[in-house]
Amino acid sequence: MSRAFVSGARSSIVLATVAIAFCVLFGRLFYLHVWSQQELLQHLEANRKTFSLIEARRGNIVDARGNLLAVTRTSYNIGVDPQMVREEDQHKLPQLAELIGKTVEEVEEALDTKVRVVGASSNEVRLVRWVSLMRGADEAVNNAVAALNIRGIYSNREHSRAYPAGTLAAHVLGYVNKEETAVTGVERFFDYYLRGQDGWRESERDGRRRELAQFREREVSASDGLNVELTLDQMVQHIAETEIARLVEEFRPEGVSVIVSEASTGAVLAMANYPTYDPNEFFNTQKYPIANQRNRALTDSFEPGSTFKIVPVAAALNEGVVNPDDVFQTGHAQVSYRGRSLRLPSDHRHYDSLSVYDVMVKSSNRGVAHLGLQLGEQRLYDYSAAFGFGERTGCALGGEISGTLHRVSAWDGLTITRLPMGHAVSATPMQVHAAMSVIANNGILMQPMLTRRVFDRQGQDVVRFSPQAKRRVISTDVAQILSQMLADVVGENGTARRAAIENYNVAGKTGTTQKIVNGRYSNRHHVASFSGFFPADRPELVITVVVDEPRLNGTGYGGSVAAPAFRNIAEACIAYLGIRPSRTREDFIAQQPSSHDWPRRLTN
Amino acid sequence: MYPGGEPRVDLINPLCILLLCGIGVLFIYSAQLSHVAGNDWKMQIFWVVLGLATYGVVSAINYKVFLEYAHFIYIAGIVGLLLTHEHSPISVEMMGARRWINVGITTVQPTEGAKIGTLIMAASILARSDIGTVRDSIWPLAKVGFVFLLPMLLIFLQPDLGSSLVFPPMVFALLYVSRLSEKFFLSAFAIFAVAIAVLGADIYGYSQHLERQRSADTSAEVVTGEYKSILPIRNYQRNRILTFVAPDVVDPGGIGASWNANQAKISAATGGATGKGLFKGTQAQLGYLPQAVAHNDFIFSVIAEETGFLGSAFVVGLFCLIVANGIRIAGLARDRFGMQLAIGVSVLFLVHFFINIGMTIGITPITGLPLPFLSYGGSFVLSCFILQGLVQSVYRYRKDFS
Repeated sequence: MSRAFVSGARSSIVLATVAIAFCVLFGRLFYLHVWSQQELLQHLEANRKTFSLIEARRGNIVDARGNLLAVTRTSYNIGVDPQMVREEDQHKLPQLAELIGKTVEEVEEALDTKVRVVGASSNEVRLVRWVSLMRGADEAVNNAVAALNIRGIYSNREHSRAYPAGTLAAHVLGYVNKEETAVTGVERFFDYYLRGQDGWRESERDGRRRELAQFREREVSASDGLNVELTLDQMVQHIAETEIARLVEEFRPEGVSVIVSEASTGAVLAMANYPTYDPNEFFNTQKYPIANQRNRALTDSFEPGSTFKIVPVAAALNEGVVNPDDVFQTGHAQVSYRGRSLRLPSDHRHYDSLSVYDVMVKSSNRGVAHLGLQLGEQRLYDYSAAFGFGERTGCALGGEISGTLHRVSAWDGLTITRLPMGHAVSATPMQVHAAMSVIANNGILMQPMLTRRVFDRQGQDVVRFSPQAKRRVISTDVAQILSQMLADVVGENGTARRAAIENYNVAGKTGTTQKIVNGRYSNRHHVASFSGFFPADRPELVITVVVDEPRLNGTGYGGSVAAPAFRNIAEACIAYLGIRPSRTREDFIAQQPSSHDWPRRLTN
Repeated sequence: MYPGGEPRVDLINPLCILLLCGIGVLFIYSAQLSHVAGNDWKMQIFWVVLGLATYGVVSAINYKVFLEYAHFIYIAGIVGLLLTHEHSPISVEMMGARRWINVGITTVQPTEGAKIGTLIMAASILARSDIGTVRDSIWPLAKVGFVFLLPMLLIFLQPDLGSSLVFPPMVFALLYVSRLSEKFFLSAFAIFAVAIAVLGADIYGYSQHLERQRSADTSAEVVTGEYKSILPIRNYQRNRILTFVAPDVVDPGGIGASWNANQAKISAATGGATGKGLFKGTQAQLGYLPQAVAHNDFIFSVIAEETGFLGSAFVVGLFCLIVANGIRIAGLARDRFGMQLAIGVSVLFLVHFFINIGMTIGITPITGLPLPFLSYGGSFVLSCFILQGLVQSVYRYRKDFS
């Protein structure tokens, strides 16, 4: 052994250094492997585990004939993280700008804005990590942008809701907002079926954050939303909206509502309002003020006026207190009622006497006041309520109001004479429509129906909705008598001659009410309405048109504004739906039974 | 057969080396199994075989021959380093550094050759000089200093900070086992301590600066300017040291500068006592370890994760054996040159082991130093075999048998 070259002390120091170095290594290894393993293991799990949501696809909404009214499409939001952008990609920007439909300057500005100031008062600066460049890009655009391979440009996929028909039936459909919350309409009411169930997946990812399919632990697949089929017919809806457009152009009204439904089932074929909006652009409140989203047919009430007269007439006939040709003395402005003297409303023409039949055909205010007095408060109230006034129709679209029908205890002395003519009550267009449908449907009040069924991807029914009768309001006989009366309203002596259609027996009632402006009835602001059905002897369609504040010279009468609109819609529906005419050649020869035949018919 | 009955050949180091090489090939295969479609493990086998042959040749040669040709070996090493300069036609640039030269069939890293040359040259100077008092020592010291600083500087300029840092411990070890005065070492330690203190102050100031900047980001204050210091080091270098000392300051989220260090630590820790099993390490197989370096600089992480404490302790044990045996051989050497060689080689290996394993388990900063016999890399494997061959030669020629 030769240790001559180095002292023993130094040699041992060198050895000690080596020993210490290795002891440190061993110690640290032991510490990591055995001591702090748990803690670091958790960190690792957190790094690797991923929990991802599998989005369910929202179901479609289709009309009665299967036309798509609301669909879910996959779109991409393209944006940029300005922090990641490289100089080398500068030359690709013109291509990018062209793809996303922006100018090169706009794109460059988005890419160069790297910080933003938070709040006006402070100078707090935040890094910008995401600037949206294009929303709702389709697959082709997204692929083309991805192919450019610009660092920092990303896209996020989202299912977005599209309404291919634009503004068509907007109020019925409603929309889904950007937070995937269904806001109004069928979208909201049938959200439970449409939404579907999101799935989820627990998995692991690697160092590049890619998912590792082999480590999927649990996966619950998404179940797509179901589809909803409406009773609405896209074509009828289109007819109604076209007519509304014409009305708007001619009368520049505040609002219009049109409802078309099947008489026997209550199935709504069209429900349209003006002003309307495009559910694809619900957020564009510049173009479509938020008030446009109101489904006026359900959310706005007006004094129904003369269209309400069917209630006292039907009630009085159904209760048997009068016969159709009983005559009332309508020459006096005052009557004595329960020991008090009541002032009766006036008509715009003076009649000395009118039969019940004529009260209806001439739309006599004083006449129906007499009917109200014959019925008494409680029965008048009961029938009004039975016709559906003062309660929601249950037209599941949200926002529906119940209108106003005061309880008898809240009536003042004049109500008994004013309610029959449709004052002191407020109703939505849908309520007026439902009440008219009672006459068209042999006295039975139907639940308005908007959806036919809920079906799955294979087209199989999941839920089928059938027509629902709410209650019988009047007897079949009385309903038929009333149909006949209402047919004569549209006849040559009635107030709604302009609703008549050649070869078709149309029944209906006009309504013209003054709006209350600044606490009193205005002579300039009117609501013109018409509610009717046809053919009168075997009703197929019930159509209601309500025009709020038509602007024209003179009074906006229901007969001159709403009735022609009814006729236009009805004629288009006849052509489209193929409704057979009521007057065959034989009918022309036989003619109509005249009014004095009523008692005989009743006793048949 | 030979006097004293002692074996002529040291078997401890060759056996350790063979074991390590086997483990190395296995885990290079494992590290690249899932992600890189590389066949580096096959190349590693080739280099190991070539290295073993070289080891045989070098250990057969009497190390005294190297004493005679020390100057030529050294100059060859320096020329190799010069060839990496950007004006050299065979210089190769990779990842922003010029550390390689192209020799036709493959690229080699002249740093490794320079290491061997420098070690032999320095050992020969120290062996030939008469070092005792400080006055006697000055001229040999100056020569040794020049011999070390020249390659260090060239390597530093490549740039390859990690490799250039291997030199100081080696030269200190060589000087220490020569008969240099204690005063020299005391003063050297004093200078070292002062340097550390200055660096510490600089880093501390920098960390304060970072804190200020961060709070400025979230308050109304205008962002403060660049950090100014007298030391000529760059911010990224400060970041590296800070990542080691105080990771929360430089990278609060743990996803930037300290990502590699964190992942390496996690790899080692989650291995547990017995590991996750061969080829089953999630950190390595799923690419959490930096993929470009998992099979060379971070090979120990793969081993630690897949074989656990037992496996990594076994590997560290083998390294310990190699170093300890090297020092034992130094003590057996017949002359000062032999001793210097054996000590120099052992310290060089110790530095590599310690810094590389240290960085994977979070006790030294991250530097690009490979792990001898385990990490992938042709030039490095060869140089390790040559250095170990020298030690074997020192052992075989410890006594004159002629």
